[in-house]
Amino acid sequence: MNRSELIKRLADERDIPMEEATEIVSIFFDSMKEALQNGDRVEIRGFGSFKIKKYEGYQGRNPKTGDPVQVSPKRLPFFRAGKELKEYLNN
Amino acid sequence: MVNTLTKSDLVDRVYEQSERNRPEVKDQVEGLLDIIKRVIKQDHSLLISGFGKFETYDKRPRKGRNPQTSEEIILPARKVVVFRLSRKFRAEINQQL
Repeated sequence: MNRSELIKRLADERDIPMEEATEIVSIFFDSMKEALQNGDRVEIRGFGSFKIKKYEGYQGRNPKTGDPVQVSPKRLPFFRAGKELKEYLNN
Repeated sequence: MVNTLTKSDLVDRVYEQSERNRPEVKDQVEGLLDIIKRVIKQDHSLLISGFGKFETYDKRPRKGRNPQTSEEIILPARKVVVFRLSRKFRAEINQQL
């Protein structure tokens, strides 16, 4: 399923206008993006949490050619499923 | 210092843009989370463009060991969910570095 199908489903199930469902879904994911961009954590009880891992840059090698390459520092978000979601998926 | 965005922060953000009262907005956000969980379970995949993709995987049973007693145990087959970051979001998050 994708974002627009999710919006449609929310509108149908909650019996709300499409514009309102669009607004809820947009704010939901945009707020999480914004928090992670600021380096903040996201913790949604019953669902899971996201946190940013920071990586230092380093001098690596192209494994095929052996040429040295500079790997730049990066930040990546990681998701950990919450207990409730894990249990829900497994029963 | 690292701040944490919680569910009630999300409810507040939606509430700021909404004409409904806060309990109603909380219900909508809980409803959305419930749909997200069901979709991940039933479709095995939820793609949010510009954010990422949630996918479920089947893990096969494997032998493990209780590290305290060294007793061998079978860890049962289970489903796990992983989050794959969208390329766009990955670029956005790293552009100021």
